[in-house]
Amino acid sequence: MPSPNSAQTTIDMLTLTILQTRGPSHGYGIANAIQELSDEALRIDEGSLYPALHRMEEAGWISAEWTITENKRRARIYRITAAGTKQLTSEKERWIKFSGGVARVLRLA
Amino acid sequence: MSWISRWRNTFRARRLDQDLVDEIGDHLARRTEDLEREGATHQEAARRARLTFGSINQVREQSRAVRLWPMIEGTAQDVRYAWRGMRRSPMFAMTAVISLGLAIGANTAIFSIVDAVLLRPMPVAEPDQLFTLWTKEGESDTFSYPAFDEMRTAAKSSARLALFDSPYRVEAQAFDPNAPRDEAIQQFVSPDAFDVLGVPPAIGRLFSVNEGTLPVAVLSYDYWRARFQSDPLVVGRTLFVSGRPYSIVGVARQQFSGVEAGKFVDIWIPVTQADPGMLIQPEYRPFHLIGRLTPGLTREQIAAQLQPSFHRHETLEARSGATGVSLFRRAFSRPLWVMLAVAACTLLIACANVASLLLARSTARAGEMAMRASLGASRGRLLRQMLTESFLLSSLAGAGGYLLAGVLAPMLVTLTSTQADPIRVDLSLDGPVLAFCVALCSISTLLFGVAPAWQATVDRPMSRLGGAARLGRWFVGVQVAFAFCLVTGGAGFVFSLRNLTSVDTGFDPRGVTVLTAANDLGPRQRDLQLTLMRQLRARTALLPGVQSAATAWNPLLSGGRRAERVAVAGQPASATEETFYRVSPGYLATLRTSLLEGRDFVSSDDDTEPIPTIVNRKFLDRYHLALGREFHGAQGIRHRVIGVAANSLYGSLRKGFEAIAYIPMKPPRAFTLYVRSTLDPGTVGRLVEREAKTLGSGLHVRDMATLESLVGNTILKEKLLAGIGASFAFLGLTLAAVGLFGMLNYSVARRTKEIGIRSTLGAARSSVVLLVIEESLGMILLGLGVGLAASLVLLRFSQALLYEVEPADPMVFGTAVAVFMAAALVAGSMPALRAASIDPAIALRHE
Repeated sequence: MPSPNSAQTTIDMLTLTILQTRGPSHGYGIANAIQELSDEALRIDEGSLYPALHRMEEAGWISAEWTITENKRRARIYRITAAGTKQLTSEKERWIKFSGGVARVLRLA
Repeated sequence: MSWISRWRNTFRARRLDQDLVDEIGDHLARRTEDLEREGATHQEAARRARLTFGSINQVREQSRAVRLWPMIEGTAQDVRYAWRGMRRSPMFAMTAVISLGLAIGANTAIFSIVDAVLLRPMPVAEPDQLFTLWTKEGESDTFSYPAFDEMRTAAKSSARLALFDSPYRVEAQAFDPNAPRDEAIQQFVSPDAFDVLGVPPAIGRLFSVNEGTLPVAVLSYDYWRARFQSDPLVVGRTLFVSGRPYSIVGVARQQFSGVEAGKFVDIWIPVTQADPGMLIQPEYRPFHLIGRLTPGLTREQIAAQLQPSFHRHETLEARSGATGVSLFRRAFSRPLWVMLAVAACTLLIACANVASLLLARSTARAGEMAMRASLGASRGRLLRQMLTESFLLSSLAGAGGYLLAGVLAPMLVTLTSTQADPIRVDLSLDGPVLAFCVALCSISTLLFGVAPAWQATVDRPMSRLGGAARLGRWFVGVQVAFAFCLVTGGAGFVFSLRNLTSVDTGFDPRGVTVLTAANDLGPRQRDLQLTLMRQLRARTALLPGVQSAATAWNPLLSGGRRAERVAVAGQPASATEETFYRVSPGYLATLRTSLLEGRDFVSSDDDTEPIPTIVNRKFLDRYHLALGREFHGAQGIRHRVIGVAANSLYGSLRKGFEAIAYIPMKPPRAFTLYVRSTLDPGTVGRLVEREAKTLGSGLHVRDMATLESLVGNTILKEKLLAGIGASFAFLGLTLAAVGLFGMLNYSVARRTKEIGIRSTLGAARSSVVLLVIEESLGMILLGLGVGLAASLVLLRFSQALLYEVEPADPMVFGTAVAVFMAAALVAGSMPALRAASIDPAIALRHE
């Protein structure tokens, strides 16, 4: 398991949160939402989102299905699964615990 | 990442890659559209979209890695895990691999022969255009030369017709008439035979359509390589075949060994150089005809076109010629299919056996399964795990079986081959045979792996035990059914062989050595030949340890015969042809066939009419003859009966006594010498060879055999079937007995507590035993019923192969039931005793 504050975990949490709050979306929509939410603070290549999506799909946190767009292109729509929701919750708890710990250390220092 | 390229070709990887390309394409298109909406030109927008996306190739590689690794890793993990599991219970793994391996090996071995003999097309151009000619009524595929000539003309442009003689053994001498002789197989063919088949030369040339009168020969590639070490300079040199010189003109292409599966031809000679007598007699029909159809025509059309030129009351049929012609195939195609069916039965038993082993093991591993399930392994994952174990088992068994087949198949072929009729089969274990072996492994995995895996991963553990027991009984039922089938089949073949070996031969084959003697004298030196033959016989008879010696034409039981129609004065000639056998004085005495009436031949007897003739009882009765009476043979030649002999065999054990007329010896170039002695055959051969050398004129001895082995050779097929049938029956029975034992034992273990309670409450020992047996009894009886029905079908199908054994033969079925009951008793007694001896006090503490 990657360390809680690695870039990978960050992308995972952002993606899961976006899918949970905004509903199913394609990769492009998720990429835009990440930029918008992180106020463009998270500077990553848009492309690197896709391996992350596929990894989460293999892990069973999100599921995907193909649809046909109005322009007759194939588009892949992702949605969060029950396992994904569970993962997000536990990840959030860990994050809160971790940041709480850091805050305590900072306060005591 | 080299594994990416390895996986790229797999179906899943290719589909994933296309999906990825589409997904990235969709992303870029959306970004471009958005940028265009903000006012950028299309080109600029597309450029910026790609820029913000980053390296497309890198994304593709990363994504592939993410997706395919779990698959590969999962499989590797499954295999590792399965391997560990097998090493933990090596007895189980060994039993399963050995029983499956034996069954897969046997199936693969027999299939490799089926493939070589029955299925594989000849290595010629467009084999599908080839056809062979048959007569429908006679079920015969041999014709006379005049018939061939007329049909060839009648075929016109619709087809080209080629002729092939039956291959036979000759003695060949390389380059020099005094060189040592070696055996070779020679075949006469029509000069255009290679053309029609589309076989090119490897070196030199093949026969031309207008082959002159100069004697020429073509060698097969194998013979050229083995005998002449692939020396290209043999072309143009002289090969002596049966003492006649032939000029070698070329070598046929590699792998082409003639048109007969089971026979490898070494030397081809144009039929135009054969004895002209072979080519004019319409009664002499040894020739196979193979034709090549002009594209667009059907075999039915060509048969109809040739029919008018075929002056017989028989209907012509054109069958596929892609696999050539074969006497061996005709003799062995049914036995081969029967053997394959028998081997398949064994495989099914082995599968059911391994399935029940797996089932028992998975019951023992129920705890482990439950733990893995609670740790989050899905049922699919567990199923996959268990099937991987099954697949590993059958792969190991398949690899072993494949190696076993490589040894077994040539052994089986050797069993069908005799000195006089050598059989060689080009067994290749690649291609279809390998595919067959792999398919067997996969099918076996499904057969034995799926049900136990399904059962082991059932969600509710409590329902598992009952289900496993039920499933186990099914497996035992299957084993019982097939094992019974094998036992009846084996019993049928063994009884058939016993019936054949107890057939009265009419002579005493023990102690008789059969030799062939040949000389180099030409047909004009008949007198000298006769003298040589008589001297050899006389000298042999005087050898120490030799009781008597006699000469004859071809040896008995070897397929050769001279047959003539018989006419008794005032009556038309017989419909059937009878056997006329040339023998010397002392022949009957040497074979210990009694002379019932009249006298034996004397050395002054010859072919002067009326020819002095000894007939056997059957001949005498069939034509109502008596001592001193006369009858007519072929062309009205007169015979006078001077003696009557007891009945004896001529062709084979199966045919029984035939009507035989013995006529006085006339010297051919090669003749048969029968020697009755107390010596071993090798010594007889050496002594006779020495006598032959001192007589000179190139007299020499070859083909030494005992008369007993000649008798045995006529029932090779039956011996083979009995041997294989009995081995498979034993194997199947053992497997089934082990299966039955395992299930009963398991059933006792499972019900120990119940048995304990019952015994405490006063149940008799016998009723406890019955309790264990009765729950399996239904399934065993069902299995027996199915097995009985199946064996009736099997025996009916093999009826033609059995000798004096009926499909529902009471002896066969009685024996099978007895053997089966004995095996069941052995398998069942231990668990039953264990059940009966359960101590109630201990049993109640159980669990």
